[in-house]
Amino acid sequence: MSMAPDYPPDGGRWICALCREPLEQVKMQVFYLNSAFDVSLPSCPRCGITMTPKSLAEGKMLEVEALLEDK
Amino acid sequence: MKFDQAHLHEIESRCTQESPPRCQGLCPFQLDVRAFLAAMAESRHAQARKILDRALPLPGILTRICDHPCENACLRQGLGGSLAISKLEQHCAAVAEPSRMLPLPPKKFSLAVLGSGLAGLVAAAELARKGYPVTIFYRDEITAPLVTRFPSLKADDGLAADLEDLSRLRVTFEESCPDAALLARCEAEFAGVLLDADAARSLAPQEDAIDGVTRHWRGNVCCAGGLGRTPTGHAFPEAARQAGEGRRAAQTLERLAGKVSLMAAREKQQGSLHVSLEGIVPVPRVEPAGGSYTPEEARAEAARCLQCQCLICVRECVYLQKYKGYPRTYARQIYNNASIVQGFHTANALINGCSLCGRCEQLCPEHFSMADLCRAAREDMVARSYMPAAAHEFALEDMESASGPECALALNDVSLSEGAAPAWLFFPGCQLAASRGEQVIALHAHLREHLPGGVALYLSCCGIPAHWAGRQAMFAEHSSVLLKQWEKFGRPGIVAACSSCMKALRLALSEARVRSAWEILNALPLPRRCGTDFSEPLSVHDPCTARHDAAWRNAVRDLARKCGARLEEPRLSGEKTSCCGYGGLVSCARPDLAAEMSADRAAALPHTALASCIMCRDRLAAQGKDCLHLLDLLFPRPAMSGKDAAREKGPGLSARRAGRAALRRLLRDRAGEETPALQPPGMRVPPETLARLEDRHILLDDVTQAVAWTERSGQYFENLENGHRLGSFRPRHVTFWVEYSREGEGLVLHDAWCHRMKVPGSGGAAVRKEESA
Repeated sequence: MSMAPDYPPDGGRWICALCREPLEQVKMQVFYLNSAFDVSLPSCPRCGITMTPKSLAEGKMLEVEALLEDK
Repeated sequence: MKFDQAHLHEIESRCTQESPPRCQGLCPFQLDVRAFLAAMAESRHAQARKILDRALPLPGILTRICDHPCENACLRQGLGGSLAISKLEQHCAAVAEPSRMLPLPPKKFSLAVLGSGLAGLVAAAELARKGYPVTIFYRDEITAPLVTRFPSLKADDGLAADLEDLSRLRVTFEESCPDAALLARCEAEFAGVLLDADAARSLAPQEDAIDGVTRHWRGNVCCAGGLGRTPTGHAFPEAARQAGEGRRAAQTLERLAGKVSLMAAREKQQGSLHVSLEGIVPVPRVEPAGGSYTPEEARAEAARCLQCQCLICVRECVYLQKYKGYPRTYARQIYNNASIVQGFHTANALINGCSLCGRCEQLCPEHFSMADLCRAAREDMVARSYMPAAAHEFALEDMESASGPECALALNDVSLSEGAAPAWLFFPGCQLAASRGEQVIALHAHLREHLPGGVALYLSCCGIPAHWAGRQAMFAEHSSVLLKQWEKFGRPGIVAACSSCMKALRLALSEARVRSAWEILNALPLPRRCGTDFSEPLSVHDPCTARHDAAWRNAVRDLARKCGARLEEPRLSGEKTSCCGYGGLVSCARPDLAAEMSADRAAALPHTALASCIMCRDRLAAQGKDCLHLLDLLFPRPAMSGKDAAREKGPGLSARRAGRAALRRLLRDRAGEETPALQPPGMRVPPETLARLEDRHILLDDVTQAVAWTERSGQYFENLENGHRLGSFRPRHVTFWVEYSREGEGLVLHDAWCHRMKVPGSGGAAVRKEESA
């Protein structure tokens, strides 16, 4: 099971409100039910808060969650 | 319920869909008559011929002489006449080329057949097809015994073709008078011997010396194919029986040669296929205008076949249709699902898709229950920790909330003196409380006015979601809370307004007397303002949990008529009623399927519906079906016409929670105990946004919490193009994302979504807590 690696924001020009920094695609691991997946997500380069775009949450992520739950 | 093979077989055997139809069951060769006729109905003669050749050892002979017991059992008999199976077989044999059988590699045991009668030749063909070297011993003329008994074979080329086939299968013909000496020789030289009881009559023993099932006589000798006898002793040929005996004897010879049990696993024990003839129109049998069928006549006659199937339950159930199978196959999938150690549990969705409504059990002549099977499977999944967390989480949290401090309330009847025990306890159910607070209050007041001894009130969830989800420990724990409260009230009689609650309460409080509010109301004076402005009839929709509760169903009808309603019964009503899609938590685990169930039920109700369960009412209304609740007749809402009440959509998920809490506050206030109201949310949620949240089972509470956390922490993203803010919060196993912006002094919500995966750097403090735990 693989997730396409790069998920930019769904649209708009987003910044981190605290650091006022534009977001960068950062490679990281997301976790569910003893599994980890490599993805690139929009993240603040200074404080590290990370965005999960809606298209990912309701698309691939939901699919993979359902698969893992049936495992 | 145990998940083992023995139990699987016991459950499976109740579903007869795989049992052969009556025609096939009576055929000594188990010819797949259904498939044969289906092919003939489409003029696929080569395919039909293949089916004949595969089943019949001597197709040329048997299609000509068979006395077709299949036709006597045909269910078309009373509906235009039995299918002309035999004539269609002859037509097929005449028009289609025989399919060539490939001989199997030769086996080491040689077998002998004494006498070339029908049973002898059938046995020889059966064994030769399986690769056994067979020798047929005959006297004078091979075909003589057959032609004597079945003169129609004389001018038929089927006989010659079948004999040619036998030669091709390396059967040896030896002219030698079958006598005692030959029999003794064969017994010694061959692994097994078949004695044809017609062609070698003088050697055959009395019928009672032969085993009726195996046709075994003695040692390695079987005997088969004697003539039939009338009660007056007249002998006559019976092709099907004689040929059938020949086949069974051949099977026994194989077992004798291989030295295995003659009986083990021989006769399959299968219930007979149930077939519903409801709505089938008679079509007269097509007789050939000439001596035999023309292709058109054959096609028309074959098309009359009913293609007998059971599927009695499947035809009525959206869920059972969804997975393209029937209970027998589903039982197997569910058992396989339970035995998976590594890999995917592919039947989880099947198990959680059943509404546990119990209609299949009601319709099935063998009472197969998908509900029992699926609920047991859910319990097993929970016990062994492979129930997907997402499946029922929302409903279980809703149950917790409805029974928690925000929504639950136990109030004694204020007219009773301090500490006095009420005679009754009214349990409206958390969904009625969520949807119809005012009517709950009106109903309670009416009960208090007319029932002697005082009526207390208990707002809480009954615990049925835990039961449906297979969480027995949770259900037991919830039951103990209910029990404690019931005992605190002095064990009063319970008046319930929800049929699911009644089911749960009867399980949880086995000693309590639980009666439906409708039964009780039916014996009391009618409410003053009851009545309806509806003149057209209403289609009664019974809740599935009242399927076995005749008292509930009768009282609903009585009360509705007393209120002036004209009632009509839909096709599936009472014990056969349909689930609205709420039962068994399908609406939680499989919302798509639940919506299909609601739509299916809505379509089956010709008029404005009358429901007596609030979830039925609200789910049907959500499908755009005009639907009243019985309370709309008993306690019509002020300034609301019947039409408006029927059209009104029920509250969404967030509004339900708010409704429960609001009812509790209202009752509490009236009882004189102030409780602080909830903080009014400082955020506007446009209706289309709310609708999207409802679809995704996201509660306003969660959204409000997420916005509050985001604003407090300042940790959010900002879209420079439109000023939208995007924050996330993970209160438990779910991360909620909220996209909102400022609007004057307040906020406005634009969108929200959620996921269960943990994403580092999002979700706020709770993420870090969860990770460190």
